[in-house]
Amino acid sequence: MNKTPTPRTQVSHRVRRFLRRTLAVSRKEVAHVSRDPMTLYVALGLPVVLLLIFGYGISFDLDRSPLAVVDYDRTPVSRNLRESLTSSGEFLLAATPDSADDVDSWFRKNEVSSALVIPPGFAANLAAARSAPLQILLDGSDGSKAGGVMGTMSALLRNWAAGIAGPAAASPIEARVTLLYNPGLKSSIFFVPGLMAFILAIAGVLLTALTVAREEEQGNLEQLFATPVGRLDVVLGKLLPYLAMGIVQALLVLAVGAVAFDLPLAGSPFLLAAGTLLFLVAVLSQGLFISVIAHSQQVATQIGALSSLLPSLLLSGFLFPVERMPMPLQVIASIFPSRYFVTFLRGVLLKGSGFSVLWPNLLAMAVFSVLVLAIATKRFRRRVA
Amino acid sequence: MESTPIAVVSGLKHHFGATLALNGMSFEVGPGQLYGLVGPDGAGKTTTVRALAGLLEANEGTVRIDGLDPLEPGSGVRERLGYMPQRYGLYRDLSVDENLQFFGDLFCLDRKTFNQRRERLLGITRLAAFGDRRADALSGGMYKKLALACALLHQPSLLLLDEPTNGVDPVSRGELWDLLADFMSQGMAILVTTSYMDEAARCSMVGLAFRGRLVLEGRPADLVAGFSDVVLRVEPASPEGMEALESALVQAGDVVEAVTPLGSGLRIVVQGGEADRVAADLEAAGANVRRLTPGFEDLFLSRAAREPGGEAT
Repeated sequence: MNKTPTPRTQVSHRVRRFLRRTLAVSRKEVAHVSRDPMTLYVALGLPVVLLLIFGYGISFDLDRSPLAVVDYDRTPVSRNLRESLTSSGEFLLAATPDSADDVDSWFRKNEVSSALVIPPGFAANLAAARSAPLQILLDGSDGSKAGGVMGTMSALLRNWAAGIAGPAAASPIEARVTLLYNPGLKSSIFFVPGLMAFILAIAGVLLTALTVAREEEQGNLEQLFATPVGRLDVVLGKLLPYLAMGIVQALLVLAVGAVAFDLPLAGSPFLLAAGTLLFLVAVLSQGLFISVIAHSQQVATQIGALSSLLPSLLLSGFLFPVERMPMPLQVIASIFPSRYFVTFLRGVLLKGSGFSVLWPNLLAMAVFSVLVLAIATKRFRRRVA
Repeated sequence: MESTPIAVVSGLKHHFGATLALNGMSFEVGPGQLYGLVGPDGAGKTTTVRALAGLLEANEGTVRIDGLDPLEPGSGVRERLGYMPQRYGLYRDLSVDENLQFFGDLFCLDRKTFNQRRERLLGITRLAAFGDRRADALSGGMYKKLALACALLHQPSLLLLDEPTNGVDPVSRGELWDLLADFMSQGMAILVTTSYMDEAARCSMVGLAFRGRLVLEGRPADLVAGFSDVVLRVEPASPEGMEALESALVQAGDVVEAVTPLGSGLRIVVQGGEADRVAADLEAAGANVRRLTPGFEDLFLSRAAREPGGEAT
């Protein structure tokens, strides 16, 4: 200890003190969290609940959609058509009114969401190779559902017609559409990556948004700032435990995604881990930044909820493609890390894309994290108002 | 004075918006001195302490601790400073031991030193049996003693205590002052703020703060000895006599420096030379008059009455 301190020993001394203080803040934060059931719920319960609610709730897949069939033809052919539509599971035969005029009341009672009217002479027309029109009635009050019903029903009708007419009648040019990466066009596969971004963003931002604001409100900061603790010690010390919690969240969400929604992992697990880690750092930094500028827990919660929920739900590409948004919205969307993470996740989980393709998304999340953390530390004033 | 001061506050001025909090606050605290900054709420006591703790940059004036500026980053002031804020600053959901450990880590105490000091501080604050108790489950007095222990772990050369006895029961108040007297005798410089005038007597030096600056400073015994005013207890013979008494007081005019209610009568501070005349006038108005021993409160009231802007009450 009596040696003259060389620059090197001074540096290592400072690094040791920095680590000691940072870890002290982290340990304290772990104690706070472990004693607060609400934080634990937000951290671990909320992600799973959200994933299950949204995963099952947001679905554009048809499952036993109630269908009314009005059969004026009453031939074996028309019966065959009806059965082939309802045997696949997408449609459930909910009503067989005698007249097309009765269909309306079924719609109004919300007991069917689509109706097929087979006109008289349908079988005869088919047999004579004449045009054989069918009428499809849809409930337009739910636009996205109507679109799904229309698509599914036309596909089923085309298949049925091809089966009846035989390969000979097929037209010389046939477009065979092959859906890559999600062959069943299951919406859950497409949604789960978006959901994961949404859930990690909300939980991550909300977790950290409160921590500094709470200490300011309770008077802890006044005590803390009279000690030699540095601002970076506090910011990093608070970030680390929440990052660990975020990793648990991410694993939980991925596990639930794999078990409940058959979420594949086509790409590299290491790339997935790296991207998820970057996204976690980004959203936790966003939360810390909010906490530093908010001065009260109430304001922090509100800004935190808004700034995590809206961008990750609406501007991430989770529900609506960003490319089709007006320019100003696209610019706002490109600020928040969610949009890069959704693109990244779809790439690595569904398409199996590699680093060479996905690196711009990783870079964007890293830049966001560094900038936001730097501003948060800078704005973290060692003063008491 | 006897030695170089540890804390020097000179000419501090500060305002929050339109409110003037400090208006030329100046004083010094030396080693082995227990300095009491005494005054009513709003006198600028907390603002002064925060400026010393480096938590506030005053608009004008300077603060030095061991010759260093507490606002200078990396100046090392924080290692020499123990601070106990008026608000509860410890972590309520952490236990006594966890709070001590946290502050020990922030000051980077090695394990052996930490354990020694922890034992000693828990011993003198009589908190040793409560190591596992959460801070929010401590009584007001125990909490303050824990905060004191946390502020003393790194053996600061200057201890800042902002209203340490506020909301503390009389027994714990006495204990706290005994502890401070011990630390003072060990050579620590201590600055205590309080709005309880009776506590001023326990300090080695007192500064009376009023409207952002000191109006009086000195050793408590010297201040009381040098107090030339007379304190009278005045009681009307009957409740109806109060009106006559009050008009007699108004007639006496400026020589009456302070009037506060006391039981069924009044406690008044009168300029020394005029005391006999005022007493005679009041007795003529039908009141019983008795001399009281002056206290710090009377000292403060009489001094504040001479300030521009009128009476403190």
